[in-house]
Amino acid sequence: MSASGNPDIRMIYIASALMELTSEQLNAGNVLREYIGLKGVPTMRIENGDGSSSLAILAAVNDVKLKGGCVMVAGVEKPHEVTSTKLNKFVSFSTNSEYEAFFGVTPAAQAAIMAREYMNKYEYSYEDIAVWPLKMHERGAQNPNAYFRKAVKIKDITESELVADPLRLYDVAPYVDGSAAVILCAEPNKRDAVIQVSGAGMGVGSAYFASKQAYDALESVGPATKQALKESGMELEDVRVVNVHDTYSIIGLLSLEAMGLSKQGMAPRLMRDGEFDGGGRVAVNMDGGLKAMGFPIGASGLYQLISSAIQLKGEKPFESLNADTALVHDMVGVDQESIVIALRRGD
Amino acid sequence: MVEQNLSIPKYWRRTQQYYRLVATRCAKCGKTYFPPRRVCDCGNDALDPFELPKNGSLVTLTVLRSVSVDFEKQRPLLIGVVDLGGVKLMGQIVDCPSPTALRAGTPMEVVFRRVKEDGEHGIIYYGYKFRPVKGCES
Repeated sequence: MSASGNPDIRMIYIASALMELTSEQLNAGNVLREYIGLKGVPTMRIENGDGSSSLAILAAVNDVKLKGGCVMVAGVEKPHEVTSTKLNKFVSFSTNSEYEAFFGVTPAAQAAIMAREYMNKYEYSYEDIAVWPLKMHERGAQNPNAYFRKAVKIKDITESELVADPLRLYDVAPYVDGSAAVILCAEPNKRDAVIQVSGAGMGVGSAYFASKQAYDALESVGPATKQALKESGMELEDVRVVNVHDTYSIIGLLSLEAMGLSKQGMAPRLMRDGEFDGGGRVAVNMDGGLKAMGFPIGASGLYQLISSAIQLKGEKPFESLNADTALVHDMVGVDQESIVIALRRGD
Repeated sequence: MVEQNLSIPKYWRRTQQYYRLVATRCAKCGKTYFPPRRVCDCGNDALDPFELPKNGSLVTLTVLRSVSVDFEKQRPLLIGVVDLGGVKLMGQIVDCPSPTALRAGTPMEVVFRRVKEDGEHGIIYYGYKFRPVKGCES
């Protein structure tokens, strides 16, 4: 609130995926309002799996477009309140629960199947896919806000334990407790006349994984990207910074392909060749992504939105990026829905 | 207090699907859906119950080692996609401790198995799983 110059806030949107399961708390917005002393401000909880916080941003954007003024969007997740196998169960509720979670299916199993099909089709070895965690850890090592601030060797990745063949521990973004908040206003205020939400889009895939059209490509990302670019009056070539929802290495790579930043089957190669590094064609997940930043499930979209804003502002450690446009991608489950938000830096 | 995860009525409402793989089929265009759907992609909302064939073929699979709490005793789980007469389902593959011989196209059949138990005192849930017709080594 102080970073945005303490404007009058007339509504709080609060996003969380697992709040009631991990923390046994419903309608947490009320607790938050009192805690931060925003007297008389109503709240709305938004849950849509790991895409919760981007949906909260969309709701807030629509609200300020319609009614003006300023609103707060907060995301919060506390997965470490429960043990890891219990958390696996809660996270599996984001599948089509009666037909997937009931039989033990988890998002990790679905992502693993996508990785396997992709590697088979385009004849990649596991080492080729491991370029994702390798690069994300490299970036994380430069980012004081990262959860993992240590570069790793390719051997650390390829010898880490298997989670779901072919995905290993390093392919999975670590669940972290985390929270984030932004203030969105209809008009720029004196303190932050810099970052504008210039467009947003959504796309859908399948609620039941097996009915997907293809297991080696994402369906929900393309339409969301196109809509966000159109609303923003941008072309893909104008975008300098991209942050994708890399809950699993394969989802990060496939998101780049589905956004149109890489031909299908080429993302691991382009990533290896530095096309997505700072100073490359487009800077991808320069903060280390969810892989290095941690994955606070229903708050992850806000994490990446805020991180993108920091990158556009050129704050430490992104002084050399010099970017004025960004796309932030968020996803619900494995390709059930995607949300893409376009950001511009004003003058 | 006994901790119960899934209510008995919730489970019983799904037994047609869990026990007999009852899908729905569009009366107009013939498209078949599992999980069952109320409205077809073609827009028609007259769909009839339709029992899926019990034989099909493997599409793809993974060995899931990090499992949900209910499946800790069964760890690791073999999770695959199986095609039953053009409808793809995701579920467990069983009777196959070493899945190296399984590949796309391997003939599979539906089996009826225990899925999980609801704690020590709760009910036992049953449902469909899949196994390779010619055994795991084929």
